[in-house]
Amino acid sequence: MSLSCIIVEDLQVAANYLRNCCEKSGQVEVRGHFSNVTDALSFLNSHTVDLIFLDVEMPGANGFELLDQIAFSPKVILTTAKSEYAYNAFQYNVSDYLMKPFTYQRFLEALAKIQPSKETISTNSATDHIYIKTDGKLIRLNNDSILYIESMGDYVKFVTIDGKKYITHNTIKNLEEKVSKQHFLKVHRSYIVNLHKIDDMRENLLFIKGNEIPVSKANKADVFRRLNIV
Amino acid sequence: MNNLKTGNTFVFNPEIDANYLNSLYGDDYMYLQEVFEAVLDDYQSLTDHIEYSYSSGNLAALRSAVHKFKPVFGFVGLTAVQQLCQDFEKTCDQAASPGELSGDYETLKNKIFQSKQIIEEEKKNLEVFNSNCS
Repeated sequence: MSLSCIIVEDLQVAANYLRNCCEKSGQVEVRGHFSNVTDALSFLNSHTVDLIFLDVEMPGANGFELLDQIAFSPKVILTTAKSEYAYNAFQYNVSDYLMKPFTYQRFLEALAKIQPSKETISTNSATDHIYIKTDGKLIRLNNDSILYIESMGDYVKFVTIDGKKYITHNTIKNLEEKVSKQHFLKVHRSYIVNLHKIDDMRENLLFIKGNEIPVSKANKADVFRRLNIV
Repeated sequence: MNNLKTGNTFVFNPEIDANYLNSLYGDDYMYLQEVFEAVLDDYQSLTDHIEYSYSSGNLAALRSAVHKFKPVFGFVGLTAVQQLCQDFEKTCDQAASPGELSGDYETLKNKIFQSKQIIEEEKKNLEVFNSNCS
């Protein structure tokens, strides 16, 4: 498996070390190193990558501001030592923290966390259902029964029309490729919604059976395109 | 300085945590030499940033500058200096004005200066070691 990545890090020695780890692993191809958010954004406007190694505190904009502005949802590994970013990290679906300097073994552990868990879901986007693996069994969920899917770090939560919640080890990015495009749309880095279940939309919020779902700036145009607006 | 070569093993300055460096780089002394060089390339600008932040009385910027410098010491095995930076960050959090930090700041500044000398010396020793090995 080869993941594409960029390194966003203003400390040269840290960036060099990270690049070295990536090359040594044989699992990650470094497409670029950027020492500030502006340069990284410029690259990401015309390229996509699977993974970003992201420092938070850099001159100018910080790392989270980069995540706010990109139009896709790569995996993110933070390279910072500040635990005070934990809440933000959860919100942004960050896969792991690497506290600089980290060992190569620790780097490999972080990489292992971002491997998509392909065994936890079985689906065909052309069918009317998916299977999810939860509580040690495979459960069938009909597309029409799913209201939305929410990211919970390395897990996702399926919320269904009968009020049940199913949690399984997976990612929004992985699911985005697997669920029926006819039914589902990613509206935020942490949410995929069933388009057929949307009750209304106000500014940057969707409402589905009383649940508020945020719509990101990057995904808003897609939402409008898919809604049957007359 | 107390650098000795014993067989094919590089003996580090006692201020440097050799075990820690080994956990990061193994016995790749060529790469380690590159690390020391990269650290020295950035050293002055990182130091300047700290001094400027302190002289301008900006506590938040000072804390941030020290935070940025902190891992650099880890990369070259100066783990005690890395810890000193960590402690200084906490002191910044508790201080109401830069004046309260003057003692700690002088200690840190001196340590940063001494560390640069150690890193420079160690880089030279690594160059000799690696050229003898090649």
